Amino acid sequence: MSDRQFCGNVDVLMSYLYEEGDPREREAFAAHVAGCEACATEVAAMRAVRGGLAAWAPPETVLDFRIVREPESRPRRVAWLTMPQLPAWAQLAAASLVVGVAVGISGLEVRYDQQGWTVRAGWSKPESAPSGVQQASTAADAPWRAELAAFEQKLRSELRPADAGVSDPGVRQAANAGARRPMGDQEFMARVRELIDASETRQQREMAVRISQVMRDFDTQRRTDLTRVVDGMGALEGRTGAAVAQQRELLNYLVRVSQKQQ
Amino acid sequence: MTVTDEELVARSVAGDSDSFNQLIIRWERPIYALAYRQIGREDDARDVCQEAFLRAFRALPGFKGQAKFSSWLYRITLNLCRDWMRRQRRAPFVQVPEGVDVSDLAAVQASPSESIEDVIGRKDLGRHLARAMQTLPHEQRSAILLKEYHDLTFQEIAELQGCPLSTVKTRLYQGLTVLRRELERSGVVTGVGGRS
Repeated sequence: MSDRQFCGNVDVLMSYLYEEGDPREREAFAAHVAGCEACATEVAAMRAVRGGLAAWAPPETVLDFRIVREPESRPRRVAWLTMPQLPAWAQLAAASLVVGVAVGISGLEVRYDQQGWTVRAGWSKPESAPSGVQQASTAADAPWRAELAAFEQKLRSELRPADAGVSDPGVRQAANAGARRPMGDQEFMARVRELIDASETRQQREMAVRISQVMRDFDTQRRTDLTRVVDGMGALEGRTGAAVAQQRELLNYLVRVSQKQQ
Repeated sequence: MTVTDEELVARSVAGDSDSFNQLIIRWERPIYALAYRQIGREDDARDVCQEAFLRAFRALPGFKGQAKFSSWLYRITLNLCRDWMRRQRRAPFVQVPEGVDVSDLAAVQASPSESIEDVIGRKDLGRHLARAMQTLPHEQRSAILLKEYHDLTFQEIAELQGCPLSTVKTRLYQGLTVLRRELERSGVVTGVGGRS
């Protein structure tokens, strides 16, 4: 094999360099390289470049993409049923409006009297009221007055048992006496005020409990955050220390190299 | 027993997306490395890598298995890289910063057996190589990358590039010669003189 094979045949050189192709041809070329300085230099140069290429690595990166099939598309709900484009308050307002209009159109009547709750639509025939009640209504010249009186009576009857629940016999006797006589307006108002005061007291107590609970949660969260911040600072200090040490080592190396060159 | 690429491809075509995800796990690193060495930008290489797998997934029913799955994937990736470079109309390789970046080097996690000198030498060589590769035509660069880093045979590269086998060897020889000249000029590689 002569120099002409290399000089004129890149195929063989590449086959030899990458160890691929006809083995006999490569063996023959290897024998030639052993005796030819020019070819040996060429091969060495190519190998040096390949060695450099081997040192060239891409940076590490995170590759975590995956193919994800979308789930089977469900049949779409009718848009007007869900109203996804409207906020909740608007949907509520719209619903209230619809109900209000419906009530207005139907002439709905809701009433509470001695017979209990009565709900009646405008298109249904009104029940024939008892003659006594009808007369009383006529006499009062306004149906709501009768209803109001009935409601007051109902309230009084509900308040009486509460008074009767007192354990002291003397007090119970007085309560019974009070139950027997009709409760006056002032007394009634005082009783209502008492109930309102009791309700306010209860609400204030609940509010205080909730505020204290919120404060306790806030304090716990603050302590947790503080602990986390302290831990983070500690870790950061550790990392910074390591980086400084690495920098110092590098600078020392650079100083050594520059001193050698001088 | 390891499932072959062909089996995973067949399962993927039948609708098993988990099988295709196994192919992604198997090939994402080589594809990313090929894209990075072609276009030289980490983020863009990642995007190209992702796009390559997405295109492969969509085109999977049309893949008849005439070539290896990996070769087919390399072809898709190289086409995407070429499109990217045309679109960007910029130098194909990474714009390597001048000089050694001390802070960058400090962040390098050298292996226990690797000294700071080795790290600097390796970085320096990689920097010069990246710059030298900029000067190569796309086909020469692709041939070198596929041969050096992905271990494709001459025949596989020829099929992938759609050219005769001898053309692949010529491209390799010419590319390596240019790299050698550039490295000698920069003084990174010495003692490899001779004809160029």
